[in-house]
Amino acid sequence: MNPSLVLRLTWLLLKKDLRVAARSRETWVLVLLFAILCVLVFAFGFLREGGDGAEVVPGALWVTLQFSATVALMRLFSAEEEAGALTTVSRSVAGSAPLFFSKALMQLIFTGGVTLTVLPLVLVFFGATAMPIGPTLAALLLGLLGQAVVGTLVAGLMLRVRQRDVLLPLVLYPILAPTLIAGVKVTAISASGGDPEVIATWLRLMVVFDAVFVLACPWLYARASGP
Amino acid sequence: MSAQAPRPIAPLLTLAAATLLIEAALYVIAARTPPDVTLGVVQKIFYFHVGTAFAMLLTMVTGALLSALDLVSPSDRIDAAARSCIEVGVAFGSMVLISGPLWARKSWGYYWTWEPRLTLTLLVVLLAIAVLLIRGLASDGATGRRIGAALAVLAAPASALIHLAVKLWGGNHPSVLQGGGIQSTEMRIAFWVSVAGLVLFAAALVQTRFRSLRLQQRTAALELDLSAIALRRAGRGQA
Repeated sequence: MNPSLVLRLTWLLLKKDLRVAARSRETWVLVLLFAILCVLVFAFGFLREGGDGAEVVPGALWVTLQFSATVALMRLFSAEEEAGALTTVSRSVAGSAPLFFSKALMQLIFTGGVTLTVLPLVLVFFGATAMPIGPTLAALLLGLLGQAVVGTLVAGLMLRVRQRDVLLPLVLYPILAPTLIAGVKVTAISASGGDPEVIATWLRLMVVFDAVFVLACPWLYARASGP
Repeated sequence: MSAQAPRPIAPLLTLAAATLLIEAALYVIAARTPPDVTLGVVQKIFYFHVGTAFAMLLTMVTGALLSALDLVSPSDRIDAAARSCIEVGVAFGSMVLISGPLWARKSWGYYWTWEPRLTLTLLVVLLAIAVLLIRGLASDGATGRRIGAALAVLAAPASALIHLAVKLWGGNHPSVLQGGGIQSTEMRIAFWVSVAGLVLFAAALVQTRFRSLRLQQRTAALELDLSAIALRRAGRGQA
């Protein structure tokens, strides 16, 4: 398989997806609205008079992102699916790799955009604007990458499974548990001004997680998708 | 698809051996082992709890390995074996998740704690249930089988990472074997006999399920043959 061909096809597919997203707007507006409402639900559920809002920040942030990423995943392959183009695209000269990589990148861009909205919102709503944000940003980047890779694999495989909207999180959340735990930890520790050594340990765990899944998922997708 | 399904004698033999061992374990546990110095009689759940956990671990790991094999070189036999392992793994995982909290309530004072082994067991059982559900809900058998195998393979490194993550997260499971929780020879005998008995019991279940899955596969193949013959006859009638 020719690497430069894979890259070129990936870029073509990604450009197509970006153009569709820019023109139709509906999906990302809906996901963004969902994310904002999710933050509100957390605020209603967890904030009490006189309670410390900053304590809820890690959970509210990461769970909101996990939920909105799931909603985005459910629509990730919808354009190809509705046009009946899935088989054609995955049987390109470069195999299914371009489709996988373009979709994973698309999901990463998408959830990255949601994060840029949700993060300030959570900090403002929960009164935590003073907390150091650097480690959380690093953790978010790693967490979103892992989520995009594993999520694309699971969403891509589930296309021909009934009740997949319910099954998708059922499979995804246990596998993503390490990133969720690590991400919440990083945010919580950095918010309370904890040990940078400990934060580094958690970030390393996320790097291992990402490395394993970036290597495994494209292979599994190529093996298990198809006719 | 001419492979013969294994004779029912093998699972029966395994089951008989498992029954003997479990009976022997029950005798040793009830009549021979002393009550634990700190926990008293409650500690006796331990023999079954750890035995079922052993069986769950073995079946799940075997199931994941067989799924990987099935992805690399697909075969109906391996597929049936992988599936029966995962199904029995879920059954034993549920037993672990029921007997564990019962014991924990008495010895730790609470039913549940977010600790590596507990969290891992819960998530692995949930994942395995999801994998089995997907196989059933896929548009056709071959698709479900491939997806199920891929996810089972993905679940293996995920489990290692979950374990690592929760370990960093904090908490401690008693390490009975290393920590000297076994206080006498009778306890050690009771422990290993019940582990062996329960693992054999799991093996008997896997064998039985494997056999029934193989028979299903054969029936499906025969039905396919039959409809092919019927089609051919209908074609000849028309000509």
